[in-house]
Amino acid sequence: MSQLYDLRLRIEEKIKSSGLDPMETKGKIGLRSGKLLALISPSTPDDPQAIAKLKLAAREILNLDL
Amino acid sequence: MKWNSIRTKVLAALLACLVIGVGGILAMMRYGFERNSQALAAESVLSAQKLFTILQAREISKMTAVSDTLVANPQIRDALASQDRARLLELTAPLYAQLKAQGITNWMFHTPEPDMRVLLRVHNPAKFDDQLNRFMDKEAMRTHAIVIGNELAKAGFALRVLRPVYDANGTLIGYLEFGEEFGQFIHAMEQQTGNDYGLLLSKDFLNREMWAESCAVWKRRDNWNDNPSFVVADRTTASDAILRFHDDLSAMQGQGQVLERYEEANSVFVRGIFPIRDASGKTVGAMFVIRNISEFYLAMQHTQNVIVLMTIAALSLGMLMVLMLLNRLVFRRLQHIIRIATRVVGGDYESEIQVSSHDEVGEFELLFEQFRSVFVTLLTGVSALPPSEDAEDAVEHKSVACV
Repeated sequence: MSQLYDLRLRIEEKIKSSGLDPMETKGKIGLRSGKLLALISPSTPDDPQAIAKLKLAAREILNLDL
Repeated sequence: MKWNSIRTKVLAALLACLVIGVGGILAMMRYGFERNSQALAAESVLSAQKLFTILQAREISKMTAVSDTLVANPQIRDALASQDRARLLELTAPLYAQLKAQGITNWMFHTPEPDMRVLLRVHNPAKFDDQLNRFMDKEAMRTHAIVIGNELAKAGFALRVLRPVYDANGTLIGYLEFGEEFGQFIHAMEQQTGNDYGLLLSKDFLNREMWAESCAVWKRRDNWNDNPSFVVADRTTASDAILRFHDDLSAMQGQGQVLERYEEANSVFVRGIFPIRDASGKTVGAMFVIRNISEFYLAMQHTQNVIVLMTIAALSLGMLMVLMLLNRLVFRRLQHIIRIATRVVGGDYESEIQVSSHDEVGEFELLFEQFRSVFVTLLTGVSALPPSEDAEDAVEHKSVACV
């Protein structure tokens, strides 16, 4: 399982637990990071730049440190 | 509030319009007030001058009519012809009291030329036999006709009617003179108009001794030394403050001029002046006019306040309507597009952008809905791919395929 996919799962978990609108929140994160969460699969290769962007978006929008 | 948002910028522009609008109205009202107060002052000067002329004409007519009656009286003619001062006084003294009540303050008989002495002053019998040598005296001797004008004598500066008197044979036996002091004119004018007036006379055309004597006759303070170049003949106010004037009287235009607008004790006044000429046509003094325009000023202030309040209310309402309209037509619809776009990115492929109108934003809504549809088709296709294929690569392949 790639690190990117792991981040996706943790983000989705956080969204679920926080009671936010999942589509809108994932959309914001996707727009902010430039990465569509729906397209991140276990086989998606890790890209350090993409990982950094996704982490930053999660911190800004969900206040989640990954 | 975001400082760089269109809403903030529009609000700032509308506020600027409000400030400019209110400022413009205030400036226009101020300008209007200046113009109107100037017009009021000019009108006050003009109407005072007209009223003064009318009063003078009326009094001249009255004095002329009285003199016509007197010169027709044979007893008075005989007494004047014989220069019998005592008899003249006996005949005229009872009548003088009545004439004085009608405003005729000065009444004189003069001997004929060449000396033209004062035979009798009915208003001041103790003084006689002096020669006045005024312009009017010379004119009467030269023309042997009625002479009318303003002239200073020992009883003061007055509007005078001087006429020759002939006996039954047509021989000149003397002159009869009536005069009305100027002071009563300004008091009559004050009563009629409610304005204040003051009469200033230039010392260049006055005789110091005559002035002192006229003050004594009318039991007034001798104010000769109050001012180096003028004397205050009379005024309707308590102080001399209204008589401030430092220009050259002789250079003044015949129609007078507006001097200033000033405030005193919560009241607003305008002050003007017009020249007074003597019988020879020289400008010997000036009449000051003071008009209280507080009522007009307060009305203008009230109007200004109402207009400013109405402008603020109207512009505020306009601002509110513009903002509401912008919110309804643009901002809310843009927010809806943003929300749908975000949700699509988040995986919601069902939400659609409804084209709510065929305006500019509606065109954008339509375009974005088409874009969303293409995007969703791509993503749906990718989701259907086997998990082994990298999703992003698949989107790329699918996008190329779509193209």
